[in-house]
Amino acid sequence: MTEPILELRNIRAGYGAIEVLHDLSFAVGRGQVVVLLGPNGAGKSTAIKVVSGLLRPNSGQLIVAGRDVTGARPDALARAGLCTIPEGRGIFPNLTVRENLVMATFTGFKLADVEERAYSRFPRLSERRNQLAGTMSGGEQQMLSLARALATEPAILLLDELSMGLAPKIVAELYEQVASIADDGVSVLVVEQFARTVLGVADWAVVLAHGTVQAAGPASEIGEDVLAGAYLGSSPT
Amino acid sequence: MESEVNDDRIQAFTQEIGELKLRGGRGDRERILLVIGVIALVAGVVLAVLGGFQASGTTDLGDQVAFLATGTFIGLALVVLGTALFIRYSVARFMRFWLVRLVHEHRSETDRVVAALKEVEEKLGR
Repeated sequence: MTEPILELRNIRAGYGAIEVLHDLSFAVGRGQVVVLLGPNGAGKSTAIKVVSGLLRPNSGQLIVAGRDVTGARPDALARAGLCTIPEGRGIFPNLTVRENLVMATFTGFKLADVEERAYSRFPRLSERRNQLAGTMSGGEQQMLSLARALATEPAILLLDELSMGLAPKIVAELYEQVASIADDGVSVLVVEQFARTVLGVADWAVVLAHGTVQAAGPASEIGEDVLAGAYLGSSPT
Repeated sequence: MESEVNDDRIQAFTQEIGELKLRGGRGDRERILLVIGVIALVAGVVLAVLGGFQASGTTDLGDQVAFLATGTFIGLALVVLGTALFIRYSVARFMRFWLVRLVHEHRSETDRVVAALKEVEEKLGR
């Protein structure tokens, strides 16, 4: 693995008295696509919340760019370049595409630059710039959330269930874009419930079950038996 | 060229992360001021009542003025300060919650409109 830009060390986190993540450790190298896989309730989204600073861990360390940033404010991390695309839709459905892109100018980028970057990567958004974002298809809405995230030139991109509610063909298209984003040097941490598509573009995979790492390794080496073990509850052979 | 640009971005990112202030964020400060407000409010009421009782327990005018000055007046000042802090910091939290709720309601409203439009389109199409 390349030098890690993001690392979780022995993270324990949860909600109130309920601990969801038990001693979770993994790392994301620079320019890598790392995927967190696991069934419902495995702790994937909780892990994303810890990384983005939304949830303070009970113990353990969150290391970003070599510094322990455990307990840092989510807005400070976002401003520095750790960008999250939340589960569902990370857009404002009652604003137009262009107005949604205006929202990305909070980090100080000019609207013209934000639009240029968004439309060059996703030409379809350019055709729909004056359309209400909520009236676009699910795939286009995810394109917009990706475009808005990329407009802020993130160093680390966190994607939570990009495929939710989308057709497999659209999901494959979106993950092609994710791979190309990683080729540009952006480190990507993807959370996914559906393993097949994302394993094709990921460098490294971490399989979670019950808040702990069940298996980890190069994405190409994560076999069906490991996934079946995590998803169906049998232990991997 | 591409990789140079990204090296710069990673360097800037590392620098910004290095300069991040940890702990004691705005949220913590708000909570502390809210608690201080509540404590000042309660302490003020207690002082004012005590001052009143002490003043009424003596017939000496000098003592009465002293009890009122140290008890009731300081108590009232604390009540005013505490109330101001409590309103300021509890309303700020409420307003934030209200904003999130507004965004959420807008989303579900848009969803309903889009669903209704689709239904109309389908019916017109047939």
